[in-house]
Amino acid sequence: MFLHNLKYELLSTLRHPALIFWLMLFPIFLGTVFKIGFGSIYEEDTLFSSIPTAVVETADNSILREVVDAVSGDDSPLLKTTYTDEDTALEMLRSGEVKGIICSGDKVTLTVKNSGIEQSILKSFIEQYGVYETIIKDTLENDPANAQKVIAALSADVKACTEKPVTQGNTDLFVQYFYNLIAMVAIFGSETGLHITKDNQANMSSLGARRNISPTPKSISLSASLVGCFIAQAVCMVICVTFIVFVLKVDLGGDLLLVYASSIVGGCLGVTMGFLIGSIARISADAKDAVSMSVSMAFCFLSGLFISNIKGIIADTVPWVNSINPVAIISDCFYCLNLYNDYTRYSVKMISMAIYIVLFSALGVILTRRKKYASI
Amino acid sequence: MKNTVVKAENIIKRYGDLVALDHFSLEISEGEIFGLLGPNGSGKTTTINCILSLLSFDKGSIEIFGKPMTPTSYDIKKNIGVIMQNVAVFDELTVYENIDYFCGLYITDKAQRKQYVDEAVEFVGLEDFLRFRPKKLSGGLLRRLNIACGIAHKPKLIILDEPTVAVDPQSRNRILEGIEELNRNGATVIYTSHYMEEVEQICTRIAIMDKGKKIAEGTKDELKRMIRNTETVTIEILGLEDRIKDRISTLPHVYSTEYDGTKLTVGCSGGKHNLVRILGVLQENDLSFGRVYSELPTLNDVFLEITGKALRDKED
Ligand SMILES: Nc1ncnc2c1ncn2[C@@H]1O[C@H](COP(=O)(O)OP(=O)(O)OP(=O)(O)O)[C@@H](O)[C@H]1O
Ligand SMILES: [Mg+2]
Repeated sequence: MFLHNLKYELLSTLRHPALIFWLMLFPIFLGTVFKIGFGSIYEEDTLFSSIPTAVVETADNSILREVVDAVSGDDSPLLKTTYTDEDTALEMLRSGEVKGIICSGDKVTLTVKNSGIEQSILKSFIEQYGVYETIIKDTLENDPANAQKVIAALSADVKACTEKPVTQGNTDLFVQYFYNLIAMVAIFGSETGLHITKDNQANMSSLGARRNISPTPKSISLSASLVGCFIAQAVCMVICVTFIVFVLKVDLGGDLLLVYASSIVGGCLGVTMGFLIGSIARISADAKDAVSMSVSMAFCFLSGLFISNIKGIIADTVPWVNSINPVAIISDCFYCLNLYNDYTRYSVKMISMAIYIVLFSALGVILTRRKKYASI
Repeated sequence: MKNTVVKAENIIKRYGDLVALDHFSLEISEGEIFGLLGPNGSGKTTTINCILSLLSFDKGSIEIFGKPMTPTSYDIKKNIGVIMQNVAVFDELTVYENIDYFCGLYITDKAQRKQYVDEAVEFVGLEDFLRFRPKKLSGGLLRRLNIACGIAHKPKLIILDEPTVAVDPQSRNRILEGIEELNRNGATVIYTSHYMEEVEQICTRIAIMDKGKKIAEGTKDELKRMIRNTETVTIEILGLEDRIKDRISTLPHVYSTEYDGTKLTVGCSGGKHNLVRILGVLQENDLSFGRVYSELPTLNDVFLEITGKALRDKED
């Protein structure tokens, strides 16, 4: 009975035109656009010259110093730094001797004179620094051995930004777009999940009614639907990641198997989110579609799919938003894998996704298990 | 006495302030084709949904096959087939897959299921459309698919909620014949419709509903006997004098005469030779007349008589 339901759930889900479009074709299209748009400048060996920068230390900030030194110390340094006092620094900025002043106070600030690629890079550096400051601090305190790695990863990040000046002030990472793209496909799984409630509730569709009058217990048809959607969504995720990695040849880094794993888990999270939205409130099916779409979009927006520094701003101002935003969690998984090689953090993210999945499914089931309806 | 298949007692169902079913009771015996006839909004679908335990109701009890019906009465549900008023199929599955899916909710044995599905396909005549998606089917074919999905598992009780809405007469006849065939093969049928012709054609017993109440019940002959009017004679005639009209109204069995200047309508209650007697009066007076016709009452007349309104609008 379960397998019978599962088989047809899979067939009907995988043939659903919206699913094929939004979860298979659209990501391929968008990924290709990203690749064409940024790809030509995304070359590992792009020539790069250090940016002359003045550093003014108004307060002792050893982390900043570590990081600054790290990015100005290697073979092709990001910064060419001069430590000086504020007045000299301003003078140097005015004369064009340096492009910007990094000032380490309570909060790290950046002063630039005019705008340009180098200024953007500096800005991005500071932003990235702001995002990762806590991580670096933690690592320095708890795992000093690894600190260099983290700092190196950060400087690599920032350098990567320099390779896409065409995005005009968009100082984010090239791969970050692909992370967010994958996260977006995952969260679009909510559209898939939405059908579960629709097709199993007698008061939402005649299909649901027909299922409800059959001798198949609701627990079986519901769980078959859920599992079917998980599998269908996993297929979409695998297609998306495979396309990005093997066709577009974007280096998502890290352990590819784990990249697949986190996208699939992320996809399941999307599905259960849709399932939950579908099962709450007595709003019409169309309204639910709209709600799930806007919620997904909002999460994507907040995690920086459209404007890449949003996530950093949120990390500064309302950090808890990032920790509950499923899209941010999914893309964080990739950061953990690729940039910081931080498997502990990765596991934490994976576990929190698993918790969401269980929570959402349980809530959804509680809300949909009803067998009799007051109104159809 | 045949076994009772469905027994609904004193069902009250409210949607907010609206009383959709008002002390509604039903008893249907094995082998019947039971017609539930009523105008739009009279509560037919609500009745069906209550019987199926899909809808909660405020009062009353429902038994099917002698056992109380609940949402988890899976052994009862196994033997029920329902064809909903709205087409309920998967758009992404083909005709064959749809029937197989729904049949599989009832029949677990694969070989048996395959046989049942094939028989259902043949029954509704969709052999040539097995690989079609529902979207590509015409309205009538879609209805037939809907029916196949509901009856493939060979249920003992088949409930059809207006299965012929928006179906052309040819398909409609086919569906009606199909229902009779299912009944001959042993199924008890509940059939709801607001088309009295259909109900008259196939149902062995009929309940007429209005505003959530059962207003009459019986075989179609019993129902027609309930009302005075058993024959309506209409005669096209010009310049009929009141004197003659009055003379006609005094004839035996005649209880109403109406004349609108061109047409004389005479209502007769029972008796024989009504037409001959009326024409006799006209001939005595040397009047010539045009077309003459005599109609036996329809269920619509029954409905009209009881509720004072037509079962459905003329253009419907
Ligand atoms: N979900 C609902 N909420 C509120 N009122 C409802 C609901 N469903 C039906 N009704 C009302 O209950 C009454 C009976 O409706 P029902 O659908 O049972 O009629 P019906 O006889 O099947 O009509 P039709 O021939 O149009 O199918 C109608 O007045 C209808 O407006
Ligand atoms: Mg109805």
